[in-house]
Amino acid sequence: MTISTLTFQTNALNQLEALETALSKTQMQLSSGKRIQTAADDPTGMAQVNQLNMELSASQQYVSNGNLATANLNLETQALTDATNLLQGARDLAVEANNASLSTTQRQDIATQLNQQLQQLVAIGNRTDSNGNYLFGGYSSSSQPFAQSGNSVSYSGSEQVSQVQISENQRISAGDTGSSVFMNLPAGNGTFTTAAGAANTGGASISPGTVTSPSQWVPDTYTITFTDATDYTVTNSGGATVTTGTYDSTKGGNISFNGIQVAVSGPPASGDTFTVAPAGQSSAFATLSGLVSTLSSPTLNAGQITTQINQALTQIDGALNNLGNVQASVGGRLNAVTSSQSAAQSRQTDLTTQVSNIQSTDYAAATTQLSSEEITLQAAEQSYASLAKLSLFNYVS
Amino acid sequence: MADLLSTSVSGLLAFQQALDVTSNNIANASTPGYSVETANLAEALGQATNVGFIGSGVDVQSITRNYNEYLALQVRGSQASYSSANTLAAQSGQVDDMLSDSGTGLTATLQSFVNSLQSVASAPTSASARQALLNQAHALAQQLNSYDSQISQFGSQLETQINGDVSQVNSITANIASLNQQIAAESTSGQTPNQLMDQRDLLIDQLSKLVSVKTATESNGSMDVYIGTGQALVTGGVARKLITTPGTYDASEVGIAISGGGTNADITPEISGGELGGLLSARSQVLDPARNAIGQVSVAVATIVNQQQQSGMDLSGAQGQPMFTVGGVQTLTASDNTGSAALSVTRGALSALTSDDYKLQFTGGAWQLTDVTTGQSVAMTGNGSSGTPFQAAGLSIVTSGTPANGDSFLIQPTAAAAAGFSVALTSPAQVAAASLVQGTAGSANTGSATVSGASVTNPSTWVSGTYTVTFGAGNSYTVKNSGGTQVGSGTYTSGTPITFQGAQLTLTGAPASGDTFTVGLNNPANTGDNSNLLAMTDALAASALNGGTTSVTGAANSLVSQIGVITQQAQNNATAQQTVNQDATTARNNASGVNLDQEAANMLRYQQAYQAMAQVITASGQMFTSLISAIQG
Repeated sequence: MTISTLTFQTNALNQLEALETALSKTQMQLSSGKRIQTAADDPTGMAQVNQLNMELSASQQYVSNGNLATANLNLETQALTDATNLLQGARDLAVEANNASLSTTQRQDIATQLNQQLQQLVAIGNRTDSNGNYLFGGYSSSSQPFAQSGNSVSYSGSEQVSQVQISENQRISAGDTGSSVFMNLPAGNGTFTTAAGAANTGGASISPGTVTSPSQWVPDTYTITFTDATDYTVTNSGGATVTTGTYDSTKGGNISFNGIQVAVSGPPASGDTFTVAPAGQSSAFATLSGLVSTLSSPTLNAGQITTQINQALTQIDGALNNLGNVQASVGGRLNAVTSSQSAAQSRQTDLTTQVSNIQSTDYAAATTQLSSEEITLQAAEQSYASLAKLSLFNYVS
Repeated sequence: MADLLSTSVSGLLAFQQALDVTSNNIANASTPGYSVETANLAEALGQATNVGFIGSGVDVQSITRNYNEYLALQVRGSQASYSSANTLAAQSGQVDDMLSDSGTGLTATLQSFVNSLQSVASAPTSASARQALLNQAHALAQQLNSYDSQISQFGSQLETQINGDVSQVNSITANIASLNQQIAAESTSGQTPNQLMDQRDLLIDQLSKLVSVKTATESNGSMDVYIGTGQALVTGGVARKLITTPGTYDASEVGIAISGGGTNADITPEISGGELGGLLSARSQVLDPARNAIGQVSVAVATIVNQQQQSGMDLSGAQGQPMFTVGGVQTLTASDNTGSAALSVTRGALSALTSDDYKLQFTGGAWQLTDVTTGQSVAMTGNGSSGTPFQAAGLSIVTSGTPANGDSFLIQPTAAAAAGFSVALTSPAQVAAASLVQGTAGSANTGSATVSGASVTNPSTWVSGTYTVTFGAGNSYTVKNSGGTQVGSGTYTSGTPITFQGAQLTLTGAPASGDTFTVGLNNPANTGDNSNLLAMTDALAASALNGGTTSVTGAANSLVSQIGVITQQAQNNATAQQTVNQDATTARNNASGVNLDQEAANMLRYQQAYQAMAQVITASGQMFTSLISAIQG
């Protein structure tokens, strides 16, 4: 077969060019560390890499969201702990005040202390994070949620709280509203409240009471009227008699009707009344300020004071209980953040590995390929250089 | 004895000519398109004698070139395929390079934008997070604009290349036609003009690099050249010019027509192979689809984000404003329309919107819509009036004026979207993190239901106001506006939002009969409300495109891999065709090329024959001298 001299030259050149292109591509893979330079190198691989990188970037964002949420929730935990300690102190003071031997002045001293605690509790409710956002304002994070006017504390924050995305499909509340923490608490024992009549003259007091049979309870305002020191009648709001009974003031006694039971102790005067009413809502602030006004009142008799302190103690217990629940929920959310962050971290490691598996140069393979391409190119260059010199004309003289 | 001399002279002349041919072969060993020539020697006619015919020497009967038509056709065919695939690979490689950076590509920018939405959601009042979001929005807009302008630049380079290629084709065909005339004239002598034939073959090779052509040789030796599906480009000594014509719809997208006979016939769709074929494929398979797909992503981002912005309340307490502006639907009128019809086209549902282009044509008294990309006809509802516009493919089309039969328009739903994509918000406070509305439970409610969320789901049907949802027996409810007019009613199912007037209220717990809930404008003090931004990230992650099958980032990612596939195929195709072309070229060159060793051997052979012939003349002289001296004796 004849081979044209031109073909020999051009083919050799084409071959050298192809080898150089391959060599430069392998060199590019080695120097950039990337097997896929553009989508054309591996369209499916590129799409996967993009997808994985997006997931990685989103996951990093969720971790940073989680860090913000953790910071907020830690501040909230601190505030809740402080509020719990404060109410615990208030409860101790209330127990101390619940002693008939105290003088009016002594009770007023306790009232002054309690009043300070009320103000501290309002301050806790108005705490802010490092950016000045109120912890318990809900959505309304830039305006102060609690305002005190005289003895009453009002909440102007929002009823909803912002959510933070801590993983692809998990959102948690970044806080709790002031209303759910301090405001919307059950009054009395949660089912009903008890009170001594304002015009009572005897020394009898009434306990906050308990529900003995929830199914028999008929919500209504009931009045217990002592017709004399030993006999009482219970009437409902329509004036109908619910029950009647006798009472021994030396022993005290339980009065039961409609599935509930209250305890009366001390000597009632004839005509003294006690009311049992369905529980509405109260707040930790209202409980404390109620206690302050009870203790600072110079006119209330012993029965009225005992009744009100007992009522307040029950409500403080309810508030402490609620703080405990919120604290538990915050703890749960902090755990959720921690576990989602650690899951995110191991996922990020996986994702990085996957991206690297798809995209990165296999150095061992690429290095081997590079040296084999080098050898081929050298051989091609050498053989071309020596073959190109051959010509019959060298020998024709 | 005179015969001996004349025979020798014929040999001397013949070997001289053969040496001339050899020397010409050696001289042209590196000339492109040169076919090796052979001096064909033949014995001269003999003289009759009584002992038989005695030969009277040698003649160079003809000088022919070693040329194989079949191999030449193979070279040209593979040359056209290679150069087409190579051009497509180069064009598509530009777009591939542009889109491929996994660190700064479109998917990464979209994800960064979503991340910055998340950052604002995590700290809705943070001015720095809001500013970072606006910066990301600008980065996204810049990337989309830059993609679009780069594609436009690729496009205008491509048009320039088409124009350049067309004028090269014209200069080549003119040369072929003039060579045809010369060859036809020279061929009358009975000998083939090898040099002219080589030149013409080389020109046809060069032409095949530009566009795929077919040839036919006529009896007078001239060669006709055909393009496309058989349109004559050169007939004998006459060449017809190719011209570039402004596109029917978009004047900047040129078409290719063949001139002659007073009319120009558009042959753009018939052009295949060569650089021109590659350029036209790149335009229709890479540049236009890429621009449309980037436009589709732009429309999707703008539509989703803007709708959610308008469902929200910004830091100043006002309803959110659109965050982005996006280029509208591009409607191009055919340059040959004769009627007065005009179109006004707007986008409708995002999920129905495609990245295809559409042709709306008035035929037989009715408008017909065709998907240009797929070639399928598309059914439309409505009548094209402003009251009931044509609805199809996520478009709303209003026609006006009077169309003439055959008038047409090209509708590009997304082509201009990315170019017009920009950030409309100017202040970080304008980011609407909070919901536009809030829900509140009535203070006298006795049920356990609480509001878990209230939002505007469709800002275009939302009527600003305060609405009261009142529960009756059996979870039934009515919704009334502040004027007491009922605007909705239904039966509440736990977990299902109550919807009315483009808004929705979500409750948790069980409402009791008589319970009320109000939905009204959000309190401007609720600056910590991030629910609207969370809804925005949800909406951006949802499969909102292509009939609810593709997310925004999914569409961006599939564009990258789609261009990658086209580029990869073109590159593989180019590599394969290059090998075919090199093989074919080698085969042809082996048949037609010069081998210097062979020429060296021929040279020695003819030289020796020439020397031998000269010896014969010397011998004849000596014989003559011997004879003369014998006579003089």
